[in-house]
Amino acid sequence: MQNFIEISDVSKTYWSEDGKTETKVVLPLSMTIAEGEMVMFLGPSGCGKTTLMRIIGGLETQDHGEIHLQGERLAGPDRRRGMVFQSYSSFPWLSVRDNIKFGTRYRKDISAQEKEEVTDHYMNMVGLTRYADFYTNRISGGMRQRVAIARTLASSPKVLLMDEPFGALDAQTREYLQLQLMDINAREKKTTVFVTHDVEEAILLASRIVIFSSRPARIVKEIRVDDLIPPESRRDGSLDMETFMALRADILKIIRAEYAHTLEDT
Amino acid sequence: MSFSILAFRKKLPRKVEIGLGITGFLLFLLTWQLIAVSGAIRPEFLPTPVSVAEAFVRLFTERDFASDIVISVRRVWLAFLLSVAVAVPLGLLMSTYRAVGALLEPFVDFVRYLPVPALVPLLVIWFGVGEASKLAVLWMGTFFQLILLIADDTKRVPVEFIESGHTLGASNGQIMRDIIIPAALPNMVDNLRITLGWCWTYLIIAEIVAANSGIGHMIWSLRRFVKTPEVMAGIIAIGIIGLLTDQAFRYAHARWFKYLHR
Repeated sequence: MQNFIEISDVSKTYWSEDGKTETKVVLPLSMTIAEGEMVMFLGPSGCGKTTLMRIIGGLETQDHGEIHLQGERLAGPDRRRGMVFQSYSSFPWLSVRDNIKFGTRYRKDISAQEKEEVTDHYMNMVGLTRYADFYTNRISGGMRQRVAIARTLASSPKVLLMDEPFGALDAQTREYLQLQLMDINAREKKTTVFVTHDVEEAILLASRIVIFSSRPARIVKEIRVDDLIPPESRRDGSLDMETFMALRADILKIIRAEYAHTLEDT
Repeated sequence: MSFSILAFRKKLPRKVEIGLGITGFLLFLLTWQLIAVSGAIRPEFLPTPVSVAEAFVRLFTERDFASDIVISVRRVWLAFLLSVAVAVPLGLLMSTYRAVGALLEPFVDFVRYLPVPALVPLLVIWFGVGEASKLAVLWMGTFFQLILLIADDTKRVPVEFIESGHTLGASNGQIMRDIIIPAALPNMVDNLRITLGWCWTYLIIAEIVAANSGIGHMIWSLRRFVKTPEVMAGIIAIGIIGLLTDQAFRYAHARWFKYLHR
């Protein structure tokens, strides 16, 4: 697979307000992501994985290094990298349908009629057609995240960035949305970077898991989940639970060791 | 439908709320009537509600009070709209561009603490005794408050909304037009409602300065003849106009921002 996203020597340091104390968040870090990959960023809280994802999205600026998308150097946010946030980012003054349609608002590559079709397509894909006319502050948190996902997909990004999008949801809704995302991913084949704390979520959704160290973030291990558990078996539930549990135990062991480092540092 | 009148942080049926609002007014009138007829305060200082109501009618039939009301309403709205026209864009810019905020905030903070009545002599020197000085008083009383309120409203727009806009391909101008303004608008309208109320409180100050028309002028000129019922009727007229305007704003808020009103 060719490199779709190329991250080269990217690093980030935060400074305290008085400029005296520095906190290294991301050490010079390089990695590549292939087109259509679902890469899960996993690591201890505050390790810098969200910062790295925000840098990929152009919402934070790295101190050093470069990020290329299809060979083009990235600077600042744009429609090529759509983002789904942990907090609800759907607009409360718009209906479910208008929120999803908002994703097409700045697209110049399709006609007004096609924008309507794209809106209906994604609204149907996330199962919200029944709620088309509802304001988003009158639907559940899970539905709001589906609106945010549909809106982002409607903008036709090349890369989907998801920052713990299911983190605030209850376990059942989270599981439902994970299955729905697997389904969407199988159809859309969208290159996705997904930040999570949830090991099982990572194994279920990822084609590759990237485990980060405690802050400052460096890559501790990469696991090609697709080579261990076929994606189809995860989608239809026929996966080998023994492999799943063994992988889960391995990942947890690494993360716990990193958490221990975090605690030692504080 | 069953409900408890003292339900903790719960809504009451609309009719009950209206009934309670009217009861509040009636209790006030009853208390006023009792004090007035008790003889504890001389009628020149505290007339009864009935004599104030009679004075209210007299103001319309004998003193062309309707013209005064029209003039005052026009002054208040003109000054208010001038305030809004400058404060809204500046408030948006202050919250969007830190440089504009850093440039203006300290000055705006300084001016808004200046007592408006103290500025009246200066405004008369600058703008004369005509309409301009009255508008200037009302404008000074509202503009510097409104600009900070608008800036605060727009600052409170969640950063995720703005970042969503960026990643959906919106330019800064499009984010302002399509996200920041719609998100902040309900609070802005609320603040406009409150600021318009302040405009009415400054009206009396504006109209006692060399004015020959308006509700404030009428109240001030009748004061000299100790026409307390007429003075109170004038004050109550301002209260009624304020209440009606406030209700109109609330109604518009409920119509425009249905998603906030369940």
